[in-house]
Amino acid sequence: MADAEAEAVDPNAPVTGMDYFMHLEYHEVLCPVVRRYTAALMDGKLIGHRCPKCGLVYAPPRGYCPIDVIETSDADEVELSNRGVVTNYTVVTPVQYYGQEKTEPFAKISIQLDEPGGSLNLQDTIDIPVEEVRVGMRVEAVWAPPGERNVDEIGNRTFGSAEGAIRGWRPTGEPDLPKEQFVNAGY
Amino acid sequence: MAAEKVRTTTHTIEFPYTRTLGPILSGFLTGMREGRILGITTGAGKVICPPTEWDPWTGDAVEPTLTEVGPGGTVETWAWVETPTPKHPLDRPFAFALIKLDGADTAMLHAVDAGDMSAMQTGMRVTPRWKPERIGHITDIEAFVPEAKGG
Repeated sequence: MADAEAEAVDPNAPVTGMDYFMHLEYHEVLCPVVRRYTAALMDGKLIGHRCPKCGLVYAPPRGYCPIDVIETSDADEVELSNRGVVTNYTVVTPVQYYGQEKTEPFAKISIQLDEPGGSLNLQDTIDIPVEEVRVGMRVEAVWAPPGERNVDEIGNRTFGSAEGAIRGWRPTGEPDLPKEQFVNAGY
Repeated sequence: MAAEKVRTTTHTIEFPYTRTLGPILSGFLTGMREGRILGITTGAGKVICPPTEWDPWTGDAVEPTLTEVGPGGTVETWAWVETPTPKHPLDRPFAFALIKLDGADTAMLHAVDAGDMSAMQTGMRVTPRWKPERIGHITDIEAFVPEAKGG
């Protein structure tokens, strides 16, 4: 930090600032549907719930359909595809604030999964430069090896996260789908 | 239904910030870096340590001239911490104590590394154990220790 460097230059300069840490640690009990989702990730499977009324697939499962306002259960569980298409993306240029581990620009992508459907957000990319990430690109999941999966950081509100289990998504090499298909698509 | 193991997730939120000290606390912490404990004298001649920027009895401003107190002091009151958390100053059981340093009229809150609660007593004499490398922070004093054990 700049202050530390200034002090290093002149160790006898008066102390003018005091560093603090705001630190808050809390523990959250996972709800059953998230426990089941994380257990499936450990087994190398993506699961979702298909609303029995409207048919929309939620990934990860939420335990309810917010459109029809009904509960969904294990009976509505579907195993999801490991392949899909990029519907949106954001390139993040990391600012080196405290705790930032990334140094180079990276992309976070939204994926519409192949049948039976569902979409995941904020996924990482693998084997593709950020400037080549595009809407319509076909991708597939790259799983961490079974012994290296760790889903401890997935909580009740980390919707769409598969962090610790899926390392990222790489291009399949198939032709792109027309991007117009995904403009204004809502999931 | 078979009891399913309850799983929890841990979230940690943490960010650093730097507080500007002003002339008096700047002097106090610069003293810490030098291994000296400084207090401030009010208009009525009371010595306050750690120093404040005002006289707590009258609200008047104080002259920004610091004077050295301690290093020894007397425990005025204390609370034993049997199970320290990672954020506590010591990783073993210790006491938080209000310590009135020699020459001061007010007490300073700090840790006392006494080993065992039975070694703690109101009125006991303590002396600071300084860190070898000091940065100008209250934790430059690692803890106070009972005077008999040396500092």
